[in-house]
Amino acid sequence: MTQASVVLALVVVTALAFDFTNGFHDTANAMATTIATKALKPKTAVALSGILNLVGAFLSVQVALTVTNAVVKIQNSNGTPKESLVSDGGSALLLIILAGLVGGIVWNLLTWLLGLPSSSSHALFGGLIGATIAGLGWAGVNWNGDGSKLDGVVGKVLLPAVLSPVIAGVVALVGTWIIHRITAGLAARHTDQGFKWGQIGSASLVSLAHGTNDAQKTMGVITLALIASGDWTDTKNIPFWVKVACALAIALGTYLGGWRIIRTLGKGLVDIAPAQGMAAQSSSAAVILASSHLGFALSTTHVATGSVLGSGLGRPGAQVRWRVAGRMITAWLITLPAAGLVGAAMWGVGHLVGGLAGALVVFAVLVAASLAVWFRSRRTPIGSHNVNDDWEPVAPPAAPADEPARVPVTAAHGGV
Amino acid sequence: MTDNLGFALEGAWKVLFAGLVLGAGLPLLFALGIRSLAWGAGGEAEVHESGVTGPKSQPIGTVVGWVLFAIVLLGIVLGITFIVASGFGKALSFEHIYPTIVDKH
Repeated sequence: MTQASVVLALVVVTALAFDFTNGFHDTANAMATTIATKALKPKTAVALSGILNLVGAFLSVQVALTVTNAVVKIQNSNGTPKESLVSDGGSALLLIILAGLVGGIVWNLLTWLLGLPSSSSHALFGGLIGATIAGLGWAGVNWNGDGSKLDGVVGKVLLPAVLSPVIAGVVALVGTWIIHRITAGLAARHTDQGFKWGQIGSASLVSLAHGTNDAQKTMGVITLALIASGDWTDTKNIPFWVKVACALAIALGTYLGGWRIIRTLGKGLVDIAPAQGMAAQSSSAAVILASSHLGFALSTTHVATGSVLGSGLGRPGAQVRWRVAGRMITAWLITLPAAGLVGAAMWGVGHLVGGLAGALVVFAVLVAASLAVWFRSRRTPIGSHNVNDDWEPVAPPAAPADEPARVPVTAAHGGV
Repeated sequence: MTDNLGFALEGAWKVLFAGLVLGAGLPLLFALGIRSLAWGAGGEAEVHESGVTGPKSQPIGTVVGWVLFAIVLLGIVLGITFIVASGFGKALSFEHIYPTIVDKH
């Protein structure tokens, strides 16, 4: 095994790790409301979502290799890497990709620890932007596109991030209001069964769309790395094993269920009733599909969060926890720069050490950071058993000492 | 920057419109379907004064309800078609009003 192939292997493993975090970070987008309203049992919901993500990923027959072109200039428009970056066996390009992926993963893990639904695509783009700035300078970033279409960091990332939660929120608000008007006066046990199926249907659509959209990004990145190192030349197709690996990674991640984020989105933001859950999921599904049809890139996370907020505003008497919403929006704002900083730092470290050793150090930092986050998360575990507990502690009448597992759950959203 | 803002606002209006039609319109039909079923079932499905029997069942309500559900189902099938088509590098075209599958440009 040559040095270059070890670096390539590290990039592929890291990309699959990102795909995995992308899965569990976004389970909530499809299933949080379904779990919160008990339309599906938590385990059933994540299993269904995982399977649909797997199916969705395999549906991506035509994968665009140009995924990074939206934000950075490391590829030509036909998907091949820039020649200047592959002159030395592709190591310059591989380091940028590796550092960018690490930036995305670290940010995804931190926001998961805090239970904040932040956009995985923003984290990936942020990491790549940071690594590119460090490696190629400001000019290496596609800030604004060429003015002929919606493109660049501004057009593909920033503007949609501002607009999409608002759009989804308005749709969900209108939907919630209409459903409540129409079904007013019906016995709840009669309507809830209907809303249950409405929720399952719309949540399934979101899961399927997520599989096709998000797994593709990692497939594109891995194939780009393979082309850079000279192990693949076809720009029209991707290796089959890449598709299988990415599909499995995102599906397993989804099945793991990012319970912390599911809890925030399903219980923390709004107390969701079945009718609201259906309105929110329908809004998410419609907005995601419509925007992808119109070529308006947006983040599933932003749409899902906007929908849940809208459903809270649309039901008379429902309460929205604006403090939680504020924390989320703050996380959105810093996702891109924070992942970018990590990406840039990783590129710096990798470049300073240089060569295979540099890539190994970057990978070691990723493993160490992941383990640290994992151990920290064990202090306040959230899983399928307690994901639906009340958000506000119900004034514990002197919490019995023999039930220590309950205490951390309520503490988890205080500001950990 | 200003170019992008223009494109984004233009896209946003379209997404909002389509989102309202599909994302709020289909739930509207679905809710009407539930309402119709309840009307069709009569009795305890609707909230009524206690002590008296509920409204009589209306079979036509059941029929209307299922017709509405069928329309919603068509909307979902359209969504799945779109996802599958885009995976194969195709897109849905609405130029003939009814959707057709075309090559993505």
